[in-house]
Amino acid sequence: MSEAEVQPSAAAEEQELLERLRAGDERAFETLVERHYPTMLAVARHYVSSRAVAEEVVQDAWLGVLNGLDRFEGRSSLRTWILRILVNRAKTRGARDARTVPFASIMPQGEEAAVEPERFRGPDDPFPGHWRAYPGTWQRLPEEALADRETLEVVLTAIHRLPPPQRIVITMRDIQGCEAEEVCAALDVSEGNQRVLLHRARSKVRSALERHFDG
Amino acid sequence: MAEHEHISCQEVVELVNDYLDKGLEPETASLFEQHVNFCDGCDWYLDQMRTTISTVGRVTEEEVPPEMRDKLMTAFREWKRS
Amino acid sequence: MNAYKFLRADGTGVFTRFAWPLPGDTPGAWVQTEPDPCRSGIHACRVRDLPYWAGRVLYEIELDGPVVEHKTKVVAPRGRLLRRIDGWDDDFRAAFTRHCADRAHELARAGGIERWEEVIEPSIPEGPALLSFVAARIAEEAAGVEAYHAERSRQAGWIADRLRLV
Repeated sequence: MSEAEVQPSAAAEEQELLERLRAGDERAFETLVERHYPTMLAVARHYVSSRAVAEEVVQDAWLGVLNGLDRFEGRSSLRTWILRILVNRAKTRGARDARTVPFASIMPQGEEAAVEPERFRGPDDPFPGHWRAYPGTWQRLPEEALADRETLEVVLTAIHRLPPPQRIVITMRDIQGCEAEEVCAALDVSEGNQRVLLHRARSKVRSALERHFDG
Repeated sequence: MAEHEHISCQEVVELVNDYLDKGLEPETASLFEQHVNFCDGCDWYLDQMRTTISTVGRVTEEEVPPEMRDKLMTAFREWKRS
Repeated sequence: MNAYKFLRADGTGVFTRFAWPLPGDTPGAWVQTEPDPCRSGIHACRVRDLPYWAGRVLYEIELDGPVVEHKTKVVAPRGRLLRRIDGWDDDFRAAFTRHCADRAHELARAGGIERWEEVIEPSIPEGPALLSFVAARIAEEAAGVEAYHAERSRQAGWIADRLRLV
């Protein structure tokens, strides 16, 4: 009854890309570059002082990937391995340029509620913590509204407005389809931190969509 | 989590992502499902979150800038030769 | 072990949306799940669990394999639907809803927490699962967590008596 795991075919595809890459297939390299660029840039950008430097770090990381291809044993996924190389380069460069912004220190302080507390009954009300008024149902929205350009713009804007750690985690998990362990390994954060960051990011994007759909 | 007989809507909206990622303890997942089963508001919220996640998944990301692409392909060809 | 299972009106699982093989003159086919007790498996109700879930359509289910008991459900790796409990229909659900609403008013007044009554009538359109919770919750607010469980037991008894469930 649990859904079939998608992983086997994704892993097989990665293996195929790796073999083609080792054989010098230019198109395989291009595919990998395109696939990982946004995340690599975002992660690098977090550690270094400018976009230009982040781009240099990304290039440098790709060289590291190519030179390390022989040593890659496949114990982690290719993507995790690539991101780990990137993070190492980014940290080194960030430290060298004296911009040390450890990822964990960017964890938001204090509570950040997924939904404003005023929308729930207070402690002195009957049924404390229950909705004062229910959120809308999006089931009645036409299918097209959920996938049209405007909606995607709302989502993109919301993601760009997220604090970098939340933006990176939601990008890796929900756009790139990385597993939680991959995110933790690549960014050197705990499982708990990763979950909190993803939860906050998704909650903010949901809020943005709610404002968009409900007017 | 302490001994709970039930959870509130306010708790549900904080647990929803852990539920969707199958990260809740079995008893907590059970309390979550119990609540969503009787509360239309939270049932709709759960659905909204699922829709949010799938919509995020449809976003196409920024492309590799041409200069970057050129530099990388050049580096690749050099690596191939060596 | 035999137990009970609620499904959606279309015969699919409430949370999984899995399309269950439905029984006719004979039981439905066996359904087998992944052997991971924490994450999957077939969820079913003992009689005492029925008021918690109070779904749309009710079946008796035969469970096989090690059955794990939880607070408000049991979970097994394998099961098949034996028969539909026809008595659990929309009229029965409405009667149970009304019963829980009346109990909720009674409990609020007896407990001196009349303020809590404001939620009862507006909740009725949402059905039996909500009202059974409201009544038990009011019992708890008035007299503590044992009262919550006592009210849930009463609710299960009300259902079992009328549907002749064992």
